[in-house]
Formats: sequence, C-alpha cells, structure tokens
Amino acid sequence: MNGPALAIPIEARRESQDNVTAEAQREFAALVGEHQSMVFSIALHYLHSRESAEEVAQEVFLQLYRHEDRLASREHVAAWLRRVACHRAIDYARRRRLDPRTSLAECPEAASAAAPPDAAGDDPMLRERLRKLVQSLPEKARTVMILRYQEDLDPEEIARTLEMPVRTVKSHLQRSLALLREKLSRARGELV
Amino acid sequence: MSRLEDELRNALRREEPPEGFAARVLARAAATPEPRRAGAWTRVTRWFRAPVFARAAMACALCLAVVLGVHYEQRQQLERVRGEAAKRQLLLALRVTGSSLRAVHDKVHELSAGYSDAQ
Repeated sequence: MNGPALAIPIEARRESQDNVTAEAQREFAALVGEHQSMVFSIALHYLHSRESAEEVAQEVFLQLYRHEDRLASREHVAAWLRRVACHRAIDYARRRRLDPRTSLAECPEAASAAAPPDAAGDDPMLRERLRKLVQSLPEKARTVMILRYQEDLDPEEIARTLEMPVRTVKSHLQRSLALLREKLSRARGELV
Repeated sequence: MSRLEDELRNALRREEPPEGFAARVLARAAATPEPRRAGAWTRVTRWFRAPVFARAAMACALCLAVVLGVHYEQRQQLERVRGEAAKRQLLLALRVTGSSLRAVHDKVHELSAGYSDAQ
C-alpha cells in the first residue's frame, strides 16, 4: 500500500536533486570558462611552465568545486581564485623546487636595434626576457608583480588579496621595478 | 606610466590555457565526490561566519559580559546593605529583648522579695 504512495515523492526528490546537481555543474562550468585564463596565467607567469601551470590551475578549480558553497557570493569568486592561484603556485614551486632564479645569461637576447619589434610594437624576445626576469624575483615580489601587471590590481587590492600591508606591496613594486630596470639596462648595454 | 611598466603589462598579459583545459577540469570534478551543497541553514548562517560578524559578535559578548558583571556587582552590594540592616535590626531586637527580660526579672525578684517579707 505504502510502496507506490512513497515512490512518487522519492522520484520527485531525486529529480529535484538531479536538477540541483546539473545546475551546480553548469554554474561551475561557467565559472571555469570565465576565470580559466586568469588562473592559468597567474600560475604560468609564476612557474614559467605551461604544464605546471595547467596542473596548478586544475587544482585551483577543483578546490573551488569542493568549496564553492562556502563562498559568500559570485563576486568573491574572482578574488578567491586569485588568492588561491597565487598560494597554490607558490606551494607548487616550493614542492617541486621549481624556483631556479633565472640568470640573465639564460634569457634570450633583449630587444635591440638588430631585433626590431613587430608591427604591433610587440617584441616576443623582450616579452620572454621580462617574464624570465619576473620569474627570477623572490616569491612575494613575483606574486605582487603578477597581480599588478597581469591583473591590473592597485596596491590596495593586492594587499587584500595577499593579506599583506599596503606599504609592503608598494615597497615590493618599487624594488622589483628598480631591479628589473637595472637588469634590463645592463643587458641592453652589454648588447650595444 | 613608465615604458617598463607598459612592457611588463604586455609581457604579463593573460594567456588562454591549452586546448581542452575546461573539459579536463570538468572531467576531474565529475570524478570527485559530489560537493555537499549548502542547505538553507548554511546559506543563512554563512553571512554570520563573515569576519565582520565575528568581530561584532565578540563586541556584543564583551558588552554583555560587562553589563552582567556590573549587574552582579550591584546585586552583591545590595545584598551586603540588606545584610547590614538585618544585622542592625537583630542587634536592636536582642537589646530590646535583653532589657525586657531584665525588667521582668527585676519585677519577679521584687515580687518574690515582697512575698517573703509578708510571710
């Protein structure tokens, strides 16, 4: 007697649960699509390896999948992803000891008169050299530079993301820029 | 904006992940156990777990502790005042009783002396 009477609500509940799951997966897929280039690029610019960057980015999104319901709102997702991507990349580099401070000698030749930029003013060699120079920075400074120049965050936003004082962020930016400027000009001087 | 900063922006611009990245992430997510979806209670209480609410709750708890402490101290003081008043009343009553007993004793003594004299 009770069997058929109970079967309908259970079926209805299952259907409702399936709908919730499908909805959650659609939402998650949308989040991956929306933020994949940001997360992948943070890891790529930190680790300078596409394979490692993909591994880190996948881990970041899986962490999002597991903790999605704990995020207060979708507006927090981007900030959360940035923070987790930075921390995951740092952890990955520490674990794999992927932190070789790239020397200038390993960098490709800098932009020079002999290698003029392309029509769009984009010089692939200079870009590669700058990336390697950024990768040669200490981990905190490197993360700050990536958030500043990849994500275009201001020092206050970087401070919030990395949970460090704004003064520290500004100091990292100033010192890193000075260091990069010096290294680049030295490299250009050597080439002349 | 310096030239170096422009060059850095260009060098560190976002790049698309390799082909099929999203599909690989979704496949890995599908292979992991279904995340526990937030229930209605969790969704409601989520806001109260925010740091601002934690600080407000801590401030409220502190205020409550101060108010309760002051209240407790006032009650203790009132009890002490009442106790002192009761002690004073008791001593007065004892004094009154003592003097009454003494008067009765004197009267009885006087009467018994008169009775002995009459015999």
